[in-house]
Amino acid sequence: MRGIPERPDARKQLKKAQLLAWLSIAYLMSTVSLLFMVMGGSQALKTELLEDALSFVPPVLFLVSDRFTRKEPDRKYPFGYERAVSAGYVGSSIALLAVGAFLLIDGAMKLVTAEHPTIGGFPLFGHVVWTGWLAIPVLLWCAIPAHLLGRAKRKTAEPLNDKNLAADAAMNEANWQSAGAAILGIVGVAFGLWWADSAAGVLISLEIIRSGWTEFRTALGDVTDRSPLTLDEKEDDSVGERIAERLREQPWVADVVVRVRERGRELTAEAHVVPKEDSISVDEVSRTGELVCKVDPRLAEVTIAPVRTLPEDVAKARQPEDA
Amino acid sequence: MLRCWPVLLLSMVAGCGLPLDPEGTSKRLASTHELRVGLTDNQPWTDSTRSEPSGIEPALVRTFAARIGAKVVWTKGSETLLAQALKHHELDLAIGGFDAQTPWVSMAGISQPFAETPDKKKHVFLTAPGENQFILTLDTFLTEHLRKSKGARS
Repeated sequence: MRGIPERPDARKQLKKAQLLAWLSIAYLMSTVSLLFMVMGGSQALKTELLEDALSFVPPVLFLVSDRFTRKEPDRKYPFGYERAVSAGYVGSSIALLAVGAFLLIDGAMKLVTAEHPTIGGFPLFGHVVWTGWLAIPVLLWCAIPAHLLGRAKRKTAEPLNDKNLAADAAMNEANWQSAGAAILGIVGVAFGLWWADSAAGVLISLEIIRSGWTEFRTALGDVTDRSPLTLDEKEDDSVGERIAERLREQPWVADVVVRVRERGRELTAEAHVVPKEDSISVDEVSRTGELVCKVDPRLAEVTIAPVRTLPEDVAKARQPEDA
Repeated sequence: MLRCWPVLLLSMVAGCGLPLDPEGTSKRLASTHELRVGLTDNQPWTDSTRSEPSGIEPALVRTFAARIGAKVVWTKGSETLLAQALKHHELDLAIGGFDAQTPWVSMAGISQPFAETPDKKKHVFLTAPGENQFILTLDTFLTEHLRKSKGARS
């Protein structure tokens, strides 16, 4: 199937990821509306609400992009549509950064001007209870299912090699931190510490900025053809080296430089190859291309370009291990 | 009964005296028995033309004051003046036909509605910001009043 790695379980995992995206949307609707009800004058809850509202973007982008990216390449977009998603993520991450920065300033201003948050009573079944007490179970509902959803998403992100899904999963998993901060803020207010609320709001806004930054780096790396990283983005992916190694094993190859780029969930590679002899057989080149494609299930396309000498720019991309 | 236990639990927590007022309004009321109320003229809700304020809201404020064992100390002034005084905790309450959409929300706290007019406006009191225990006491009183007046009408 187009757009997903060649792995036997990929199709099943894609179905699962789609289901999780729908589940996330339904869940976020519940958290956003519950938070809206109990928000009162709390800065921490307002910040948490906006964070959850922004969390709609990744699952929606996932579902939209999933249809869009599988469109076949055409004359206008000869490489297919996978990159459109990365562009979407660049946009959404900038929105995340902007809202995070706004909330940081908003919360900090409230701390500086010593604004006391008003959290009053909430009519419930003929009683009036303090809205702050109601906010605590709501915040627990924001934290625990999000964590479980995040874990489930992370498990599907791996076989699908979906970096954006992995980033979203990490954010969901970390959401208990901001919900926890908001709970501390509310408990602080209950004990008459007015500043606890804005302080919690500031912490949550920093969390939003952090997720925005992670998402921005992921998406920007993709659109700027950064060499692939592992799914957690901590290390370089070894796929380029593995392709180069396989090529060097071929009897007709004297030297090679491999450049790999990510295209959504898949990889495409270009190999500039200097043959040992002046003439090479077309069959040999095609056979090698097919062979190399099997190095990694994520490889959708490998282009082999036989050259007399390596072009200058290409030679610069040589991995230090090869030198 | 099952539906009731969270409410019971919450009332128990509330019974421990939480939330507290950062500026100690409830404590002050318990010792001085003075409820500081600002009003601005807005008939029929408030009428400050005579020496003793009258109208729907002053009557309600007096009932509330009686409930918490305090007497009302009135201050007359413009909306701006009252909102400033609330912000600086020089008043506990302000009345004058405010509804829930009031722009003073940035400076003062807003109570639960005590009346709904046919044009769907929810009428509220303004409070000193963040005095959550006091506001909870007021909200409890006003919600009760709203329920009773709705019951009387239907």
